[in-house]
Amino acid sequence: MAQSNRLAAGGRIDRSRPLTFRFNGKPYQGYDGDTLASALLANGVRVTARSFKYHRPRGIVGHGPEEPATLVELDGEDASGNRPATTVPLREGLSARSVNCWPSPEFDLGGINQLFSRFIPAGFYYKTFKWPNWHLFEPSIRKAAGLAAAPKYAPSCGYFEARHAHTDVLIAGAGPAGLLAALEAGRAGKRVFLADEGPEAGGGLLNRNLTIKGQPAMNWVADAVAELQGMANVTHLQNATVWAYREHNMLIVNQRMPEQNSLLERSWRIRAAEVVLATGATERAMVFADNDRPGIMLATSLQAYVNHWGVLPGQQVVLFTNNNSAYPVAADLAGAGALVVAILDSRVHVPDAAMKLVPDIPVHAGTVVAGVKGHKQVRAVRAVPLGGGAGAWITCDLLGHSGGWNPTVHLWSQSRSSLKFDETLAAFVPDSAAQRCRAVGAAAGNLTLDQIIEGGEDLPYAIDPLWRVEIADQKGKAFLDIQNDVTVSDVYLALREGYDNVEHVKRYTTGGMGLDQGKTGNINIIGTVAMQKGISLQDVGTTTFRSPYTPVSFGAIGGLREETVLFPYRHTPVTQWNKDNGAVMYEAGARWRRPGYFPKPGEGLQEAVNRECRAVREGVGVYDGSPLGTFELKGRDVPKFLDFLYSNVMSSLKPGDGRYGLMLSDDGLILDDGVAFRLDEHRWLISTSTGHADAVNQHMKKLLQTEFPGWQVMITTVTSQWNNATICGPRARDVMQALGTDINLSPKAFPFMSFRDGTVAGLPARVVRVSFTGELSFEVNVAPRHMATLWDKVMEAGEPFGILPVGSEASHVLRVEKGFLSLGHEVDGTVDAYDLGMGWAMSQKKPDYLGKRSVQLRRQSGHPRRALVGVLPEDPNRQIPEGAPLTPGGRREATEGLITACVWSVMNDRWVGLALLENGHARQGETAHVRLKDGVIPVRVTKPVFHDPDGKLLRS
Amino acid sequence: MMLIPCPFCGKRNESEFIFGGPVGADRPDPNAASDAEWVEYLTVVPNPLGPVQERWWHARGCGEWVTIWRDTRTHDIVRAPDGPK
Amino acid sequence: MSYDVQIDRLGRVAVFDLKGTADAVGAWVKDILPAFPVRPNTRTEKNGVALCYIGRNHWLLRAARDAEERLEQRLKPTNCPADISIVRVSDTLTFFHVTGPDAADVMAIACPLDLHETVFPPDAVTYSEFFGLKALVTRCEGGFECAVEQSFGDMVADYLARATA
Repeated sequence: MAQSNRLAAGGRIDRSRPLTFRFNGKPYQGYDGDTLASALLANGVRVTARSFKYHRPRGIVGHGPEEPATLVELDGEDASGNRPATTVPLREGLSARSVNCWPSPEFDLGGINQLFSRFIPAGFYYKTFKWPNWHLFEPSIRKAAGLAAAPKYAPSCGYFEARHAHTDVLIAGAGPAGLLAALEAGRAGKRVFLADEGPEAGGGLLNRNLTIKGQPAMNWVADAVAELQGMANVTHLQNATVWAYREHNMLIVNQRMPEQNSLLERSWRIRAAEVVLATGATERAMVFADNDRPGIMLATSLQAYVNHWGVLPGQQVVLFTNNNSAYPVAADLAGAGALVVAILDSRVHVPDAAMKLVPDIPVHAGTVVAGVKGHKQVRAVRAVPLGGGAGAWITCDLLGHSGGWNPTVHLWSQSRSSLKFDETLAAFVPDSAAQRCRAVGAAAGNLTLDQIIEGGEDLPYAIDPLWRVEIADQKGKAFLDIQNDVTVSDVYLALREGYDNVEHVKRYTTGGMGLDQGKTGNINIIGTVAMQKGISLQDVGTTTFRSPYTPVSFGAIGGLREETVLFPYRHTPVTQWNKDNGAVMYEAGARWRRPGYFPKPGEGLQEAVNRECRAVREGVGVYDGSPLGTFELKGRDVPKFLDFLYSNVMSSLKPGDGRYGLMLSDDGLILDDGVAFRLDEHRWLISTSTGHADAVNQHMKKLLQTEFPGWQVMITTVTSQWNNATICGPRARDVMQALGTDINLSPKAFPFMSFRDGTVAGLPARVVRVSFTGELSFEVNVAPRHMATLWDKVMEAGEPFGILPVGSEASHVLRVEKGFLSLGHEVDGTVDAYDLGMGWAMSQKKPDYLGKRSVQLRRQSGHPRRALVGVLPEDPNRQIPEGAPLTPGGRREATEGLITACVWSVMNDRWVGLALLENGHARQGETAHVRLKDGVIPVRVTKPVFHDPDGKLLRS
Repeated sequence: MMLIPCPFCGKRNESEFIFGGPVGADRPDPNAASDAEWVEYLTVVPNPLGPVQERWWHARGCGEWVTIWRDTRTHDIVRAPDGPK
Repeated sequence: MSYDVQIDRLGRVAVFDLKGTADAVGAWVKDILPAFPVRPNTRTEKNGVALCYIGRNHWLLRAARDAEERLEQRLKPTNCPADISIVRVSDTLTFFHVTGPDAADVMAIACPLDLHETVFPPDAVTYSEFFGLKALVTRCEGGFECAVEQSFGDMVADYLARATA
């Protein structure tokens, strides 16, 4: 029985292109142009979902993004979860499953929740958070409450893209009002961006049989689309939802299935000079007992299935309304061959114009629905006079209901523009704009075509609101929010318990917090609150509309940012050499990919690191120091500036000399450490740690532009204008000589902390004598264009001396052996220079520099300080985890410090560590205790240096 | 995503800027200020509901440190309350 | 390729960073410079040397690679007076050309600027973002030129390959 509910003709589907798809494992057929929902209805599938909390059987309710009931999970190459079935375009081979049910919506074990519903009222979560014990319930609640799980794998059939766009006018919605606005702006030569969420332009006209100047309205739509297509200044996208309206007229559009191979979705971040919101209107539900049974659908959705998709979802239809819009629905359904048994209208007087449309259909004015028969399918509805009474059961297999219309003000409200309640329309409509935007068409409250376009013919709108059916003997749950299973009694409960602000009602009941954001039900919640409190809807107000207007996949937001480009990465000219020579590469600060270590075949991390360390200590090693931040400073006021920036004096440096220094922020914390060199009278070069180069740059520029705009200091970042190979170890001078240089390398001619310009291996170079390893070091700086050549020559010249490349792991060991600082290890924002044993860097001479006063102030307080010490575990083979706490006697007490680093020292043949320890300077020689979960490690407190304590080697 | 007016480049995407914090009090003379004054200077930053003067660094732009008044309720870039500064 | 573009990673280009007031810089090297651009974020060109006005008291001088040594001799970065700063920064930038019919589409992925010809004319040049990185953006024949910090070159090439895959 293929497509038993499909009409023989009509609809905007292509009957020549049948498609096969699967739903919950069963095969079905539909047509090109169908949505999953229209195809399921065409096949007579009634139960398509189970509800979130009570697992009640549910069917399809709407026809677009308002769909509250049927969410599906797509399997296969475009796997995604929680998609409303009404917005999933049908394609060949589509495979979808209902969410919230197991094993199937027809037979769902979770349905047992219905029996316990009185134990899971509104606020259930909040109550279990408080009593008896959230953790008792958590596992089962988490399991029960989830919708679809996130797909396990990335879509295999394509990728996502995000791009920027700029436009004079952005128009959201390509219904009649949006198309008119686009034509007007396009003809005026403006840059126009028109985005519509549906596959085809037309908006509400797609679902109705309306005329413009006597011609089918869709003819006018086709003409408008064709004219727009001819304009080079117009970008017109379908399947493109404007889902966010941010500050400064920034809007975000999600475009599905762009006309491009391998692209799944495209996200547009659009900056618009002006925004036109032509987002239409959304039909609201009626609230009565058991209003969620399969076969109970929004009235206009029935009309849409008939006119747009050629599907008549049932044969015997009852319509229930409080406004005029159900009358054209009845006429169209009857025209398609349905038996419209009755129209139940809660209004006592039905306008003549409406009555004229349905001459052959019984209309019961002043009548409401107060009950439904049928569990998995509506079988009859109970029609009761508005004032109460026995009423009568009317047999039907379909109930269409319309509670009136809400202008779709989501984007308007997201823009912070205000809303007002319109008593005539019984709806919130746009009031004043907060940004440069305007609402047009139904979104502005002009709900009928005659109000929008000249010559449009439509039944005028009229409504007498009914926020809920109040019949005393109604039995069954009356749902306000079908997706989150929020009933009228839940709202009553929230109000009774004191949650009477509409925002609190929302959070306490979760009404409107589903994926549909309560598009069909929110205003009924507001109406229910208003009635209960005896105030107007305007005074209740709306909850805040937030993006996204409809669900958006994370992929579209992320765009191309995944896999290798998830985070930026930086290379040096030696990166390829490192990879070719077996380095284990990873990020080491400021996005630089650096070699961690160079294992030989079969060698582990520790063996490789030991080998590299031994080379530096006993022979020679070389590392690529290019990532160090480097800045050239120029101007008469540089000395004054550096003296303010660093804690020690820099202005006294002579050209050619350098000095290590600390940079503090004004609150006394250590911002960075580095070296400053004076190149000549007015030119200076400073280096910063790799990880803080950007922060130091920002810090310097801010000072110069905001505090000292008159100072003549010009800063140029030259981190990437200079690369360097740092040759270090007792044989470093030999390697330098083997490379060949015109610089006199003798310690006297070229002492520690100075630099010389010259040539090395025939390349123009600046050689700097600094040391981060404690050994004799020559930092050979060349332009990056020469770096690969230099590196090869160093490896070649160093070969006779057993030179090894050194990774960041070995560098870490070498600096710990020397007790050199590492920001983020020893320097963590609580320590100052005195704690580190570097009081000599805190100038007493300078009256002021950044951080001076704050360090003084803190030291005056007399609170005990943690100082940098060395630690030697009593068991030399016992490694201490970095970050481990020290406690008095190893007892379970407040910590008195922590281990900042612990490495295997090849020079000492044991584990050695650095620690910050309370009053540490006075405790050298004592035993301290590292307290771990599984035991206590006694350590001897020492000076923080384990190699060449007097620094003879690095000056050699 | 705000549009921040840069005096050199014109209005640019917020993503080109790095936030530099609200503009606090001027730095007192550290050798003259009392302890309390110094602590106040370091720790008290303006955090109004409404217009606040703040700094943004046009780091991925011309490098200018930009000073603007921003209304914290709306993100609107507004005029200085006491006339241009 | 779903985009009809050509991506080229240029070899080294000669670039010098000039800071100081226009008067002070002009007094030192006026004879070899094109006229100073008047509007911010524009450039002027003379004899294959482009002068880009990219910040307050800040210019970049851009020329073909083989002009580098000649320019250096004329600019004399190490001898210039205290009130101006001239630094050779040729190695700090990696240049890419994105050209072809879909060049603007690919640029829209990478860069938040409005690059429409009415807003970003042929003589425009500015620092902005390119795949989230600071980048110098300008037009070139048939498309756009973007320069990022040299160490990010491989990553940007990776990104461009993904964007146009």
